[in-house]
Amino acid sequence: MEQAAPDPDRQLQPAPVESLGGPGAVLEAAVGEETEGTREDSAGVHTMTGNDLWLKKIEISVSEAEKRTGRNAVNMQETYTAYLIETRSVERADGQSVLTDSLWRRYSEFELLRNYLLVYYPHVVVPPLPEKRAEFVWHKLSADNMDPDFVERRRIGLENFLLRVASHPVLCRDKIFYLFLTQEGNWKETVNETGFQLKADSRLKALNATFRVKNPDKRFTELKHYSDELQSVISHLLRVRARVADRLYGVYKVHGNYGRVFSEWSAIEKEMGDGLQSAGHHMDVYASSIDDILEDEEHYADQLKEYLFYAEALRAVCRKHELMQYDLETAAQDLASKKQQCEELATGTVRTFSLKGVTTKLFGQESAEQREARVKVLEEQINAGEQQLKSKNLEGREFVKNAWADIERFKEQKNRDLKEALISYAVMQISMCKKGIQVWTNAKECFSKM
Amino acid sequence: MAGGPPKALPSTGPHSLRDMPHPLAGSSSEEAMGGDSTPSPDLLMARSFGDKDLILPNGGTPAGTSSPASSSSLLNRLQLDDDIDGETRDLFVTVDDPKKHVCTMETYITYRITTKSTRVEFDLPEYSVRRRYQDFDWLRNKLEESQPTHLIPPLPEKFVVKGVVDRFSEEFVETRRKALDKFLKRITDHPVLSFNEHFNVFLTAKDLNAYKKQGIALLTRVGESVKHVTGGYKLRSRPLEFAAIGDYLDTFALKLGTIDRIAQRIIKEEIEYLVELREYGPVYSTWSALEGELAEPLEGVSACIGNCSTALEELTDDVTEEFLPVLREYILYSDSMKSVLKKRDQVQAEYEAKLEAVALRKEDRPKVPADVEKCQDRMECFNADLKADMERWQSNKRHDFRQLLVGLADKNIQYYEKCLMAWESIIPLLQEKQETK
Repeated sequence: MEQAAPDPDRQLQPAPVESLGGPGAVLEAAVGEETEGTREDSAGVHTMTGNDLWLKKIEISVSEAEKRTGRNAVNMQETYTAYLIETRSVERADGQSVLTDSLWRRYSEFELLRNYLLVYYPHVVVPPLPEKRAEFVWHKLSADNMDPDFVERRRIGLENFLLRVASHPVLCRDKIFYLFLTQEGNWKETVNETGFQLKADSRLKALNATFRVKNPDKRFTELKHYSDELQSVISHLLRVRARVADRLYGVYKVHGNYGRVFSEWSAIEKEMGDGLQSAGHHMDVYASSIDDILEDEEHYADQLKEYLFYAEALRAVCRKHELMQYDLETAAQDLASKKQQCEELATGTVRTFSLKGVTTKLFGQESAEQREARVKVLEEQINAGEQQLKSKNLEGREFVKNAWADIERFKEQKNRDLKEALISYAVMQISMCKKGIQVWTNAKECFSKM
Repeated sequence: MAGGPPKALPSTGPHSLRDMPHPLAGSSSEEAMGGDSTPSPDLLMARSFGDKDLILPNGGTPAGTSSPASSSSLLNRLQLDDDIDGETRDLFVTVDDPKKHVCTMETYITYRITTKSTRVEFDLPEYSVRRRYQDFDWLRNKLEESQPTHLIPPLPEKFVVKGVVDRFSEEFVETRRKALDKFLKRITDHPVLSFNEHFNVFLTAKDLNAYKKQGIALLTRVGESVKHVTGGYKLRSRPLEFAAIGDYLDTFALKLGTIDRIAQRIIKEEIEYLVELREYGPVYSTWSALEGELAEPLEGVSACIGNCSTALEELTDDVTEEFLPVLREYILYSDSMKSVLKKRDQVQAEYEAKLEAVALRKEDRPKVPADVEKCQDRMECFNADLKADMERWQSNKRHDFRQLLVGLADKNIQYYEKCLMAWESIIPLLQEKQETK
């Protein structure tokens, strides 16, 4: 491993070439920067670069979940679930995959990774994690985090998250992400050492900017409204869907009672007995079929939930824009007022109310040297300010450009994914109808033989 | 609909019912019948046509002996005949055309009763009268009075809770009409009940109320005597077959009651499911308004869910209107059958008591006294009638329930087919690629 200068940010340079990194999940790399080694851009982001890295496909899977007990930060016993992440590289030549890395992570580490990505890639719509706690449950589903079905769905959700990150043209190159997949021990410390928590924008600052920004890009304002409405409508949808599932469960299960009573009735009948008995059996089959049907539907609900959480990620990008824009506006305003101050000093007119103006009136004008000194300071500040404004402007425009590119990418992805989800939902409904027809046709045959 | 006349129908020409001697009036005492055995009541009824010629479908003459044994075999022959299809049917009755009548005192519904018959008892080949529920109720009571040894079909429930059910709604009226039609058809199919005088009057009289007021108690002898059987006789031992029937009816009614409750519960759950679906579908519409490329697919899903909701509503309505009433009808039927069984027990008890009394008197009589014989006759006739009716009832029940349950299955199949069609039709919509965003 190359040891770079004692810059803590650069401590973890990757081993060159052979190691992993890049687009995952059997997707080819989109684009690649073609410089070697690690580079750190102006924001301190750690990316992995390397020509041949992009051409290798990798497969990521979260293959297992395991209950563990350990001691937490306050030295108390706790139970948590750990997930096994396996990474395989698929050699192009023979198509076989080789297990290259395998390690265990818990949910909180995924959260840490995501928070890091949010800070260092504010222009990216960062893929969301599966929900922390089970929400929108219908009564049969457990809201318990330790419930095996919940754990299983979370495992799938976490795998999906990693695949999303790995297939993102920008995020996939991140060093920390790479280490997440490859370096079990010490990863937490590594992430924390990047100091990303300090670089995060304060919530208060962001809120302030949202209210006070004067000229945000209209597209971001619209996007913000869209993501608010999307969040609201998907929440509503998930809530009602849960109730629908509940009711449907009831309908199917009550039919099971027919099974029992037909059986009892058949005992007193001579010719009708057989028909009743076998029809009753079909009613039992009908009643028990609902469990699998609703389990499949949970998958659909999970797909909707992902986009519910994606709405939040969209909003985060909008917030960042507002923050930057507000910052820019504030800086511009600052500069303008300094320029004015300078002008006033130079010409001796006091147009604006200022403490200096008051004290001047009270205590008399200052001396020419004093004034000149102050003008000089101001001019220096103005210069610096103009430089800053220029770079802020540039930054802002870069941000808008990059963010909007990612948003377009996201839109395409969303439309594709949701269409797929709707199709699979329709397919589920079709399957349910066909099962229903089958069962009732069987029962009808039994009845007709009565 | 016109049935051919039964082969052995004598060409005595139509006779007005009132012209014919009442079968049990005066002359139809034991003596007139030629002596020492009591003919069965059914035989007597049969004799009421025309010139004492007995109408037997197979062209036979009445058996000279009219002992209970042969009367039951006679019954069997008559019963057999009813199992043959409509070719030999000579009586057709339909209930239709409900109409609302608004009077100062009350509002009520009447139904048109259309009768077509080639039977001698009917002056005209065709009749059309209007009757209301009250009239059906009257008929049923009269039948119970005059034919106490037979199972009388049930009527749909008399009372409906006002405010809960709309007595004048199309669905209610239609359900009732069907049940009333069934009631009359069951009587029509019965070899004894269909010849009942009250039934005839019900089908034909222009002014039924006038007839009702006459209060002529046209009872068969057995009917009258059965009516006057007092309780208080203890039954020694119920014949196995009647005990079995009693047990069967008990369990049967119980199971039907359970099925009724289950069916109602299912409907309740389905309605609650429907309520949620009606909220669920529109949310997709709301979402569709936010989107560009996804707008059409989402709108399609919304419409699809709407179609499924409608199909579900149709299912619950159908089951409520067509399945539940028939269940309830059979529960009522079992109840009335139980009371007939009780009456039978009473008749048997009376007979046994009288027999015992005779035995205790230790008189050396060569033959059994007349009144004990009468009791025995009564009992045996009753048993025969009941047995025959039970068999008929079992066979009808089997047919009715087969039809009912097949119907239930069909309704559910149709519901799922409607939903299937809806979902299959939007798949192409969801899959289609849109050129413009």
